Amino acid sequence: MCDACGCDLKPEHTHDSKVVEVHQSLLAANTAMAVKNREHIEKMGAVAINMISSPGSGKTTLLEKTIEAIGDTIRIGVIEGDIETDRDAERIRAKGVPVVQLTTGGACHLDAAQVHKGIHLLEKEEGGAELDILFIENVGNLVCPATFDLGEHHRLVLVSVPEGPDKPAKYPKAFHSSQVFIISKTDLLPYFDFPVEEAKAEALQLNPNLQVMALSATSGEGFDQWLDYLREVCRKRQ
Amino acid sequence: MHEMSLVQGLLAQLNELAREHGKEKVISVSMEIGPLSGVVIDSFQFGFDILAKDDALTREAKLIIESPPAIYRCFGCGREVEALQRPERCSECSETLFSPQGGDGLILRQVEME
Ligand SMILES: Nc1nc2c(ncn2[C@@H]2O[C@H](COP(=O)(O)OP(=O)(O)OP(=O)(O)O)[C@@H](O)[C@H]2O)c(=O)[nH]1
Ligand SMILES: [Zn+2]
Ligand SMILES: [Zn+2]
Ligand SMILES: [Zn+2]
Ligand SMILES: [Zn+2]
Repeated sequence: MCDACGCDLKPEHTHDSKVVEVHQSLLAANTAMAVKNREHIEKMGAVAINMISSPGSGKTTLLEKTIEAIGDTIRIGVIEGDIETDRDAERIRAKGVPVVQLTTGGACHLDAAQVHKGIHLLEKEEGGAELDILFIENVGNLVCPATFDLGEHHRLVLVSVPEGPDKPAKYPKAFHSSQVFIISKTDLLPYFDFPVEEAKAEALQLNPNLQVMALSATSGEGFDQWLDYLREVCRKRQ
Repeated sequence: MHEMSLVQGLLAQLNELAREHGKEKVISVSMEIGPLSGVVIDSFQFGFDILAKDDALTREAKLIIESPPAIYRCFGCGREVEALQRPERCSECSETLFSPQGGDGLILRQVEME
């Protein structure tokens, strides 16, 4: 065996090989773009919130209800990420706020380059250049989006009551990297076995700094705390 | 499977490195993939095995992956332990909350080419 490459050493075999030290993250290009996005969003005067969850946890519904509740006092803009279709963007547009749909064409997550494009498109929409909060609804998926910084200021992970309480243990990265954990669809608690306190404790075990909220977009339960959080986010920016 | 898109990025970077150094063949690629990186090592290896074959430059390349432990800092007493998995509780003070430090690297360390 040859030490250099593990091949069966033949007499004529020589190694004119070179070892190049790289020591660079595979995510370096994404991170660099995310830094630019964050600067761009701050220049707009806005705070960006990246929403991560499994498909159907209630991200778009939460946004609809949030716009109805505080859309007249806080200027909200939305970047929607989906694998296909612009249905989510249509739902948001119907609420009268600037929105851009990004379709990833199969990819299971948004990346910073896509969001960069999204920000520029959003600025061309009416009111899209002056925002207080920019929501980025990521592709429905608890795994892949967690790896990609989009340039957000806050990351929010949602788990809905029908999904069950064991998501934090199964998808740790989403919980490590978030600042806020939302348990959604709490109006369904009577019909599902979802021990809220246990789920909270388990999430805090993964990330003791998580802010945890439980709410229902349908009944409005827990919405005050959510809206207070958003107002606080706006107050504290810069 | 974001591992696939990450492997695509890696292969693009290998092509660039080879051009820069005037080499035609990648012999080995050393990566660090931390336990908290959000990347499944088996999926990454699988993606590499499939995609590297499509390119003469990387057809025979060997992928070497190391996964260094993360450091878990106890919320109660501040004690730090190195581990691949989150400890159940602190051996000093029995606290069950820890904040992880590091362990999230997804780093191309070195490339051997000829
Ligand atoms: N009972 C109940 N249902 C809800 C609630 N919020 C959303 N839903 C329902 O859950 C389904 C999915 O909601 P969406 O808001 O589209 O979920 P999403 O996370 O945006 O979905 P994707 O974008 O596909 O990942 C819809 O049928 C909603 O009506 C809630 O608070 N309670
Ligand atoms: Zn949606
Ligand atoms: Zn730009
Ligand atoms: Zn994926
Ligand atoms: Zn301790």
